[in-house]
Amino acid sequence: MSDVQKKKFVVTRFDPDKDEVPKTQEYTIPVRPDWKVLDALNYIKDEVDGTISHRWSCRMAVCGSCGMLVNGEPKLTCSTPLDEYGDEVHVAPLSNFPVIRDLVVDLEGFLDKFKSVKPWIVRAKEKAVEEGPCRQTPEELHAFKQFSMCINCMLCYAACPVVANVPEFLGPAAIALGHRYNLDSRDEGAAERNEVFRGEGTVYECSYANECSEVCPKNVDPAAAINQAKLLAVLDWMKSFVTPRRGGE
Amino acid sequence: MKPLLLRLEPVIWLLFGAGIMLGTILLPGYLLTMGLGVPLGVLPAEALSYERLHGMLSHPIGGLVFRLVALALIALPLWKAAHHLRSLSVDFDGHDRDGLVGGVLYLIALAGSVLGILAVIRL
Repeated sequence: MSDVQKKKFVVTRFDPDKDEVPKTQEYTIPVRPDWKVLDALNYIKDEVDGTISHRWSCRMAVCGSCGMLVNGEPKLTCSTPLDEYGDEVHVAPLSNFPVIRDLVVDLEGFLDKFKSVKPWIVRAKEKAVEEGPCRQTPEELHAFKQFSMCINCMLCYAACPVVANVPEFLGPAAIALGHRYNLDSRDEGAAERNEVFRGEGTVYECSYANECSEVCPKNVDPAAAINQAKLLAVLDWMKSFVTPRRGGE
Repeated sequence: MKPLLLRLEPVIWLLFGAGIMLGTILLPGYLLTMGLGVPLGVLPAEALSYERLHGMLSHPIGGLVFRLVALALIALPLWKAAHHLRSLSVDFDGHDRDGLVGGVLYLIALAGSVLGILAVIRL
């Protein structure tokens, strides 16, 4: 067993009842070559220190729960191989979020932003079941499909320099999701969403650092969505001068 | 100032977006031609002489188009610069002063644009 590889994990700890500021704690544990970062955290939790708190669920990069900063970079820990790192690995909670405990961040503000862009199909009048399904061509599906792959892991919020400086900014994932519904041929809620896009936390805050698309584990390209959304929101704003306002009759 | 900027954001962004297009695509070519091509003798100096360009801008039919292009080259990069500097200010912890900084920068861009309009009209 002498050839078992060991790695040191420097984990950020924070207990709101005891700590003023976060501190770090070191754990040196045996690791297996095929482990992901999450496997090491689970080993620490199960075998070394049961007081450590972290979120995870599916272990297959679908649920988006296990996002953390690994050596300072936002990563889904369940899909980040440990062998990409040296003998020392730093794990911290996602930046730009309030920390509840250790590696667990508060999602409240993020979820409020999500809800504000109405991430569902908005219809002026609900289509009756008897009228059959809303059909879409492959092209119409292709228009938004990429932006629907988001798993709400919030890595893009941790990476975004604008989220860090402008707390009310809607942020990459929320804008990409709103834009996804604006592009959906079945949806009729673009005018409402564009008003949100132009309001508090406006899409124009984005300075196109492109960090969101760099860190996205699902290749959603939120930066592209934001910049397409900007143009559509401008066109919608121009249109509002020549056509009567929605609900104005 | 901030609420006003928020309302004007679509216009500002449109001018900024157009400025980016010009600034990153056309302006380097323009600088390459005027700043390097002519001084290094790669392009004949008389091709871009004042008289020739003035003639282009005064052409009865094409003159208006050339004047609009000249105005775009003068004004839009100002909006690009103003918006970039505002973003830079925010990045340097300037969220609280954003309204003031943005207001001043856009006023400078606006003044430059007005001067640009006067310049191309009076040519």
